[in-house]
Amino acid sequence: MSIKYSAAMTIAASLSHVVMADEGDRGRFALGGYGDVKYETSEAEDTSAYSARFVPIFLFSLNEKMHVEAETEISINAEGETEVELEYADLHYFLTDTTTVTAGKFLIPFGQFGPNIHPSWINRSPWTPGIYGSHGSNQAMEALLPILSDVGVAVQQTIVLGGHQKVFIDLYSTNGPGVEADDHAEEPVEDEHQEEESDHAELPELAFEATSGDNNKDKAFGGRVAYAMLPGLELGASYYSASYDEEESLDFRAQGVDINLIGSHYLLRGEYIETQTDGREEEEGESEIHTFKRDGWYLQSTFQTGKLWPSLSGTELVLEYAETNQLAEASRWMVGVNYWLDARSVIKVAYDDTDLEEGEDDQRFAIQLSYGF
Amino acid sequence: MKQLINRTPLSPASWSILFLLMFSASWVSAEPSPINGAEVFNNNCARCHNARSLDEFSLQEWAVIMPHMREKAHLTGKETDAVMAFITLVKKGETKSASAKEGAHVLNGEALFNKYSCQGCHSVNGKGGTVGPALDTTIADKGKTFFLQKLKNPQFNNPASPMPKMPLSDEEIEALADYLSTF
Repeated sequence: MSIKYSAAMTIAASLSHVVMADEGDRGRFALGGYGDVKYETSEAEDTSAYSARFVPIFLFSLNEKMHVEAETEISINAEGETEVELEYADLHYFLTDTTTVTAGKFLIPFGQFGPNIHPSWINRSPWTPGIYGSHGSNQAMEALLPILSDVGVAVQQTIVLGGHQKVFIDLYSTNGPGVEADDHAEEPVEDEHQEEESDHAELPELAFEATSGDNNKDKAFGGRVAYAMLPGLELGASYYSASYDEEESLDFRAQGVDINLIGSHYLLRGEYIETQTDGREEEEGESEIHTFKRDGWYLQSTFQTGKLWPSLSGTELVLEYAETNQLAEASRWMVGVNYWLDARSVIKVAYDDTDLEEGEDDQRFAIQLSYGF
Repeated sequence: MKQLINRTPLSPASWSILFLLMFSASWVSAEPSPINGAEVFNNNCARCHNARSLDEFSLQEWAVIMPHMREKAHLTGKETDAVMAFITLVKKGETKSASAKEGAHVLNGEALFNKYSCQGCHSVNGKGGTVGPALDTTIADKGKTFFLQKLKNPQFNNPASPMPKMPLSDEEIEALADYLSTF
């Protein structure tokens, strides 16, 4: 770092401290959030539809140590009913300069997408990465970790190494998943032959929706450790573990690594996830636990054409590839063009092609207007 | 008491969180001081999303939004305060700045460049932020008229630009242009 640059930064920092907010500048409440409108066609479903969401975020600053935040997603479902979902509602307590304790329903710090990228005005694609599930719409690819938030407590530690380097540590304990209720038990099987051939049917279905209850005393536990070389690079490793049955004998575990690369005119985001789901098998009158292993990954690149060529101001190209392996194998290509109306409003036009090892492939097309406010 | 402990054994999760809390209490931060708020803004916002214009929210709203972003972006308390100081400088401008207290506008381009932390978001001689373009050759490449217009209306050529409208007089913008012409 040159002496002149260091001096400039120091002078600027010193001067900026002169202008401090006074008591009258202290706010108590702020309203933010995002929303989107989407037109989407799906070949597998043979439909096209408009959809809309409004996702306000309520922020309260109780005092210098305590901060309350809540995000609600308000949307209309296919039957015309208005749905309200509490995405998160939690309290942050700033214990020290570098430590924050969070309690309530909070975004699970696993990987990059859930805690940071999921708002539609931030996500460069109109769809969720396939390994995380659809988050409100339908998708052909079966998710590895369809979890966004849960109820519990978390601790966050930021370690400043200097030279723009940091280490982030997040630990949390939450209620965790349960056993998915079998809604299809009494439904007629349309294709019995196909049902018999499917190995995938044995994979236990878990309910990841956050609840204020639990079916056992075991708590889910997880965390993420990340290294950041600001402003261009963040590398993270995540872990999640929980018992999901009433007897606490069946576990679900997930491990992941993620990368976030920010260049002067490009973004590269990717995650790899492995999961192990215990399932009980009855063989010759004896019960055995079998572990189903799955893995998958996605890589999303954004080429900010508007930053390179002024005549294309506001535009960017997006390319994403995702795949899930071992049970419910699938791959998905996505290509899109985005146009930013301003720094927080974007029109996305995208096409994706999902190829399933078993089941019906899908091709989707979407135009989405997303706005942060 | 012994019975109580036996009845409530701590899970590995609880032990880990307790350990982190104890660890954090004794942690000695290695961060340098003072911290440049504009630089923190540049280094952290674009990790996830486009940097939002400071003009979008009032100072009171920013004071509530920043604790939210502190947790989301893993900012330290000192970094959060530095960003708020930068936002306050931009929003309040001369009404509370050091130069206002001295009763005179600063017409030294380099001093203005430093005061408003331009290098927090823009680079000069390869050093500085990346939220905005490098400023070394801006005036040579695009002309002084472009520069003056950009400072007066930051979104005139790019509606997606997050650059805030700085509280600068015409004379101060001229002084900044003269300073950047020296590179």
